[in-house]
Amino acid sequence: MKIAEVKSGDVLICALEGEVDINTSPVLRKSFEEIIKKNEKKVLVEFSQVSYIDSSGLATLIEMFQRLKKIGGVMRFSGMNQKIKNTFEITKLHKLFEIFETKETALKGY
Amino acid sequence: MNIHEKLPTDLKAIPALIRDVAAKLRELPIDKGQLHDVRLCLEEALVNAIKHGNKFNPNLFVEVDIESDGNSLSISVADQGEGFDFQGIPDPRNPDNLHKLSGRGILLIRSHMDSVDFFDSGRTIKMTKLFKGRGK
Repeated sequence: MKIAEVKSGDVLICALEGEVDINTSPVLRKSFEEIIKKNEKKVLVEFSQVSYIDSSGLATLIEMFQRLKKIGGVMRFSGMNQKIKNTFEITKLHKLFEIFETKETALKGY
Repeated sequence: MNIHEKLPTDLKAIPALIRDVAAKLRELPIDKGQLHDVRLCLEEALVNAIKHGNKFNPNLFVEVDIESDGNSLSISVADQGEGFDFQGIPDPRNPDNLHKLSGRGILLIRSHMDSVDFFDSGRTIKMTKLFKGRGK
């Protein structure tokens, strides 16, 4: 899995590429820890190049969402394909997270 | 199609098995979406068996059996742990559980497979996926 970070105003866009699963989740966690250390408060996790997520990937996102929230930050999500969106809906995590269709809509009013 | 594999209790053993199974599944009348579902469920069952079943004990194994008759696919994953109360799993969709970091694997499996059963006090999970046009 690749992670590319780009700043858009005060929002850090964290674009993921590949699969977010039991084997790649530690890489994602490490990257998020660096983001928290840098005191980034607005993070947009971009999924348009993500093909697969499992429950370990979901757990990593929940963990980082909570850690960011504790320091007064916000995490949004965008660009999920239908299968990934289904996974969030089945688990009801779409009620916990702010999920947007596109990066552009997620950035509006952030 | 028939696959039988005995895996060590090691999460690193999962990707190679998934790759082998995916290659064989592509020979079956299964579409991309169903391939995704089968992969997700197999991976969730394997992670459960290694983490919660065998509790990472390297002396134990996980046995995987996959069979297809051309109409459906059956997957059985068996660990050597102490078993668990598969009827008492908390619902991860409950608002009180939404923030929890684990407990979603079985829900994902039930949601993507056409039938899911547990045997041997929860040590074995057997799941079936009907092929395109026949099931979920």
